[in-house]
Amino acid sequence: MKRAIAAFALAIALALPLVAQSFDPRKKYEVTFGVYGDLERAYREVLSGPDFKSKYPNITFKFQTADMNGHHNRLATIIAAGEAANDIEAVEIRFISNLVESGGLTDLGAKPFNGRVVGKDLVKFAMSNATTTRGKLVAMPVDIAPAVLFYRKDLADAAKVNLDSLKSWDEYIEAGKKLTLDRDGDGKKDQFAITHPGDVGVIPLNGGNGGWFEDGKPLEPKQKFLDVLDLVLKIRRAGIDADLGAWTPAWTQALKDGKVATMPLGSWFGGALKTWIAPESKGKWRVAYLPGKLYAAVGGTYLAIPAKVSAARKAAAWEVIKYLATSPVAQLAVFRSIDAFPALTTVYSDKVMDEGVEYFGGQKVRKIYADVALHIPESPVSEYDNVVLSIWMRAVSTVVFGKKSPEVLYEEARKKILATVE
Amino acid sequence: MTARRPMFGTTVPRGAAMIALTAVALLFAFPFYYIFVLGTWPGERVLELPPHLVFGNGLSANLEVLLERVPYFSSFLNSLGIALTQTVLSLFFCTMAGFAFAKYRFRFRKQLLGFVIATLAVPGFLNIVPFYKMMVAFGWINTWLPLVVPGMAGAFGIFLMTQFLAHGLPDELLDAGAIDGLGEFGLLIRVVFPLARPGMAILGIITFIGSWNSFTSALVFLPDLSKTTLPVVLAALNSRVDNNLGALMLGTALSLLPMMAIFLVFSRQIISGLTAGAVKG
Amino acid sequence: MRVSRGKGRMPYLFIAPFFALFAVFGVFPIGYSVLMSLFNWKMSGPVEFIGLGNYVNVLTVDPFFLSAVLNTLVLLLTGSLLQHFIALPLAIVVNSRFVKGKEFFKTAYFLPYITSTVAVAIIFANLFDTNYGLFNWALGAFGIEPVAWLADPVGIKVALSAVLNWKYVGWNMVIYLAALQSIPAELYEAVEMDGAGTIRKHLAITLPHLMPVVFFAVSLSIIGGMQIFEEPFVLTGGYENMGGEGNSGLTAAFYLMFTAFKAGRLGKASAIAWIIFVVILLLNRVNRLATDRMPGGGD
Repeated sequence: MKRAIAAFALAIALALPLVAQSFDPRKKYEVTFGVYGDLERAYREVLSGPDFKSKYPNITFKFQTADMNGHHNRLATIIAAGEAANDIEAVEIRFISNLVESGGLTDLGAKPFNGRVVGKDLVKFAMSNATTTRGKLVAMPVDIAPAVLFYRKDLADAAKVNLDSLKSWDEYIEAGKKLTLDRDGDGKKDQFAITHPGDVGVIPLNGGNGGWFEDGKPLEPKQKFLDVLDLVLKIRRAGIDADLGAWTPAWTQALKDGKVATMPLGSWFGGALKTWIAPESKGKWRVAYLPGKLYAAVGGTYLAIPAKVSAARKAAAWEVIKYLATSPVAQLAVFRSIDAFPALTTVYSDKVMDEGVEYFGGQKVRKIYADVALHIPESPVSEYDNVVLSIWMRAVSTVVFGKKSPEVLYEEARKKILATVE
Repeated sequence: MTARRPMFGTTVPRGAAMIALTAVALLFAFPFYYIFVLGTWPGERVLELPPHLVFGNGLSANLEVLLERVPYFSSFLNSLGIALTQTVLSLFFCTMAGFAFAKYRFRFRKQLLGFVIATLAVPGFLNIVPFYKMMVAFGWINTWLPLVVPGMAGAFGIFLMTQFLAHGLPDELLDAGAIDGLGEFGLLIRVVFPLARPGMAILGIITFIGSWNSFTSALVFLPDLSKTTLPVVLAALNSRVDNNLGALMLGTALSLLPMMAIFLVFSRQIISGLTAGAVKG
Repeated sequence: MRVSRGKGRMPYLFIAPFFALFAVFGVFPIGYSVLMSLFNWKMSGPVEFIGLGNYVNVLTVDPFFLSAVLNTLVLLLTGSLLQHFIALPLAIVVNSRFVKGKEFFKTAYFLPYITSTVAVAIIFANLFDTNYGLFNWALGAFGIEPVAWLADPVGIKVALSAVLNWKYVGWNMVIYLAALQSIPAELYEAVEMDGAGTIRKHLAITLPHLMPVVFFAVSLSIIGGMQIFEEPFVLTGGYENMGGEGNSGLTAAFYLMFTAFKAGRLGKASAIAWIIFVVILLLNRVNRLATDRMPGGGD
């Protein structure tokens, strides 16, 4: 009898924390929040704003910021150690993969979170990008980066090409040839269509998210991947790329000087152009759909709760994530402050989406971003994505030299992936 | 000119050697200067081509970002405190252990020293994972302890001091000290520490710089922004859309100054003005 | 070595802090990583005990590891070891009597060592850029075609070696400078009386006396060189690029980090760490044998 009572008491004691751990509006919470880059500034603004303060006067914050690599290394270290990191951790899309199947992040699709219901208005592809192949929802999307073709209108006009509705990459290359010029007549080309052929090495693959496996086999269907290597090689052979490494000083300078006429990249790049790469080129850049109306994303921020965070803290963290991801006020505020495009589809009909953007000569670029976002194909993440992406990108950058055929590189990459992934 | 003349025996080759030495020295020092230059250019112009070689006009703007966006000053003090603490502790414990390994014959000396050196070869990258578990269990998160305590008698320092004391500290001086009635600990304090200066200078410089630059462990063990170190705070300025490269460069440039100071202070011990034991040229 | 001393406990007491700290802070992490290496251990493991499976996989099946070790060994020679042939003569010259402004030279050569990696990345991206870099501009002045430094397997090695030499020469020079102080001047006077020239003098006196320090400095270069990660990581563009063209900049430690933190395979990464450990021990054995055979070595 005694033992039965003891067992009962123990059961109660164990069950109690689960019951008592819903969010309590009368309690004070301090939520710790791990972010990278410019997110802290944007979130601080929103979370100290009147809207949040009126809804959650009892939540305060402590931020931990680092650069993107440092932030994710820290997170991986702590999760690997099986300990609790901050209550909320921001995760960039490329870094979700290695945290995915680990069990290190809370399944937000399960009770008591019901993240799929909460996130019903969040853009579909982003929800799928945060879902593992086994169906766990490991994070909630807050901002996304629909990929578009940024281009210099003045250069396109001068070359008499229209980049607004290119039907295919072949058309793009044809236009690119006209955009590639020797402006100063010194016998050397000094204006190019694109910075590097590798810029299109992933964008055409399942909404830019890879879709690396089919029935567990890597790089299948084969033709899809061969086509991309062919495209990359064609761009190099057409002589329309400036052969610039991304984010090098020369790369930035070329974009600033208008030596590169187009750039297929995520919407955040518009913010970088406007604020620091080429602020003086106001009015010269435009946005178009990717050739063939390809729908893809390059980048995006997700918020996750590490599994080891205590239930009480999870409850508060979840309220904050819900607010940042699904409150129109928060979504629009972050968009305004750091050009992080909303994941919440209900704000796509907000009047701000219909406003012309001065930097893009008054073009209604947000309409395009929103339309792209709604059409990006769904694609869940697997734990192998990062490895496969790295191996794939080596094939992409090697193919441009023309020494090995796309076919050979495809096979090499496939073998390496199989050997690494087993 | 005969074969017997020293290589630098005449003024002309000596002059040429000086010019070469100076030219290469300037080449080596250039990046250092360059960081200071970049720190004075506004963020959006840092990466301009051709590269900037002279100072720009963004100093005050960068300073503003640096002081407003991140707790630069407090993290500067944190870094300084951590680095100095670690340096002092390392100098003491490593010189002590190096003295024992270099000047005593005791059982298992060779094996123990071999063990110390072998621990250096363990790639430490992954140890941070289980080490983090320990620090949580110890309750040491958000304190200086994980950054200061485990390394205060580091294998590197012991190896270094053993090498220098074995060859740089004459036994006669120790014997003389012993005759004067100094105990083992007295010898350490009164004889070894003063005479081990060139070795300790190197250890001091290396420890300070290593600690000052530590990024990953500070990021992991000092999550609280007000308690963290300079490299962590600077990394927070690095973003894609909101370019703070100028402020980052300025912050980096200013953070080099304490390392410079430490180097100058300690390195004085390394070339102590061509004293008795110096090489003649 | 003071034979007369050491009957007591003092030497053990003096070295005790290291072993105490190692017992507390070293044993657990090292044991833990040995354990991880025996499991199919992902971001949160252990999943499955596989014995030496990770080791076998890394050494036989893995498409990157062996070439990563080879890359590391090449950089060890051209980056970490080559610089001793620069640093030692440099230290002797700076230390010689006729050189004025020793403080300036010592400091100037040491500055790269304290320059931050972020800055190094920006500077070297400027220097090695294919189209706009200073090096290709200089080559162009001699009519040489631009070299795609960072897009070419050999170019990557050259660039990385240059960075490593640049960064660590001053550090080795400072070690040698300190060691030069301990050579008694009388020794030089003796050979000078015999009329030896500068070079012969240094070969006869300086080098044999410095052999223990050479061993020490080379040991450190081997240990450090085999664990080189940051420079190739930054210069070849991070994890996504896996060391650039032909994985030329993918060092063993880089691949270890990639395996652990990008691929989330902690068990396999631990196995890599232990294989690197064994390689370092072997290389240091070689270093010991080599320096022992030199005049003045083998004390």
